[in-house]
Amino acid sequence: MLFRLSQTLTDRWSRTFARTVRATYRQDEAYASTPMGRFWLWVALALLLLLPLLLPPYPMYVVVLIAIAAVGALGLHLLVGGAGQISLGHAAFLGIGAYTASHLAGPLAVVGILLGGVLAGLIGVVLGLPSLRIKGAYLAIATLALQFLADYVFKRWEAVTGGIRGRTLPPAEFLGIPLPGADALWYLVLLFAIPLFFYAKRLLSTRAGRLWYAVRDNDLSARLSGVDLTRAKLTAFAVSAFYAGIAGGLLANLYKSITPENFVLTFSIQYLAMVIVGGAGTVLGAVLGATFVVLIPEVLNAIVGAFGPQFAPSFAAWRNVVFGVLILMFLILEPLGLVGLWGRIRDYFRTWPLPY
Amino acid sequence: MTPILEAHDLALAFKGVRALNGVSFTVNPGDFFAVIGPNGAGKTSLLNVLSGLYRPQQGTVRFLGEDLSGVSPQERARRGLGRTFQNLELFRGMSVLDNVKLGAELAMGAYSALTPDTRKEWAIRRWAEEVLDYLHLAPHRHKHAGALPYGLQKRVEVARALAGKPKLLLLDEPMAGLSLEEKQDLARFLLDARREWGVTMVLVEHDLKAVLELSTGVLVMSYGEVLYLGEPGGVRDNPRVAEAYLGRSA
Repeated sequence: MLFRLSQTLTDRWSRTFARTVRATYRQDEAYASTPMGRFWLWVALALLLLLPLLLPPYPMYVVVLIAIAAVGALGLHLLVGGAGQISLGHAAFLGIGAYTASHLAGPLAVVGILLGGVLAGLIGVVLGLPSLRIKGAYLAIATLALQFLADYVFKRWEAVTGGIRGRTLPPAEFLGIPLPGADALWYLVLLFAIPLFFYAKRLLSTRAGRLWYAVRDNDLSARLSGVDLTRAKLTAFAVSAFYAGIAGGLLANLYKSITPENFVLTFSIQYLAMVIVGGAGTVLGAVLGATFVVLIPEVLNAIVGAFGPQFAPSFAAWRNVVFGVLILMFLILEPLGLVGLWGRIRDYFRTWPLPY
Repeated sequence: MTPILEAHDLALAFKGVRALNGVSFTVNPGDFFAVIGPNGAGKTSLLNVLSGLYRPQQGTVRFLGEDLSGVSPQERARRGLGRTFQNLELFRGMSVLDNVKLGAELAMGAYSALTPDTRKEWAIRRWAEEVLDYLHLAPHRHKHAGALPYGLQKRVEVARALAGKPKLLLLDEPMAGLSLEEKQDLARFLLDARREWGVTMVLVEHDLKAVLELSTGVLVMSYGEVLYLGEPGGVRDNPRVAEAYLGRSA
């Protein structure tokens, strides 16, 4: 009797909680379809919500930076990893989002950020136009032109951008609740970042993803499979710029003061680095890449701090070198990026303690 | 019975090289129409004209009674003109399933890409699985298409084209490079698809034996000209074909 009961219980347990087999097509496509997957998803979400209670102010500030960078990197990932188009003008879209948000700040922060995203998306379509004719390095140069153009406009259109002095923002508010510091702003960032994360994932696993991957892999076949190349490419640019615009708006609300210096070419390249280091192919990669690229300068600063302040000036110059070498090492040693690394660590523990 | 495809007096030249010169033929619904000819005869050029990649300098193509001049390749695909390639043109970085799903969208109706439609996605998935099952590709569904062996890649390409439920499928040497066994499998798949899904096929092929056994109509080309058009039974006895294609002097 007891044996039967225990057998039923363990059976139920393994069927409901320890299920690892995806038996139906629906489970095969669903996100976090196994109970364990769902469990970890909820744990991760809960952890994100509780983070400001767990971290001191400065690390929290860095985490907010990472989350914002992740939103921007997600957008670039959809474009580069998804549709296979390159862009050196990502910072320009962050700038468009940021300046738009700077005009609709304070109580209107949410509206301003959204509008910044939409505006960036529209201009993204314009940037996408050259991609209909040119590819690869040529497209990179064309997007570079937009980057410089945007830089010029940010500096000279003083009525809107405040010129080189930039603009300052009042603290953001959400439904009348003021969000003064990074830990309060965190929830506003999550409000945008979590839906955008899942939206990107969903896009890549449904029709949009297939269209983009098709354009990336083989545009001849794509056309003969009925794919409208023009439309697929322009949507990719628009969505990518929308994400960047949102990230820019959030960044403006975090910094509370923006200047053209915040949106220069280096910034665009950093975003490309996030996508490359994170590993093309998955949405998680963009997030891991953003974490890496934002954390590296912080870690290097901490190391310099440990050596003593007298090394700070000379080390600042070396920081970019270290950064560059790290990215090169990633490309050579782990071409799949952090996602590849994560996959191997996971497989190691899945089969632990027997390696095969 | 209205013909599904009518090519009338097609001419195509690349800087003096006449790839097609006055090619006319008709394909009726349910046909298994073969185009054969020696290398450089203009067979692939003909398919490229039909699917809209090349614009002929002269002549017209009518598909389902409608003139196709000025219609883009993607629009032709949407109207039911499928195509496979001689040198594989798969989406190599996509899974086999996604390759077939992309084709299936043509049949199941596309939706606006930025607002994922779960019900349409399920319909696409179910149909894609049916096609995968049909072509015995189900065990490979989650593999990257580019990582499969050559024979399977050829089959994925046929699967992707069939998933779009084309009314007319243009096959460019689907059997080239396959082993005898793979050729027999593929021939069976194609014949079944024609019978069960009513797909009319135009096939470019080098394997003369396979063509004469399978086809219902044959077009023999050489240097862009039509040498023979008619029943497969008459090909071997035609002196012009024998001279140009089989290399025997008549």
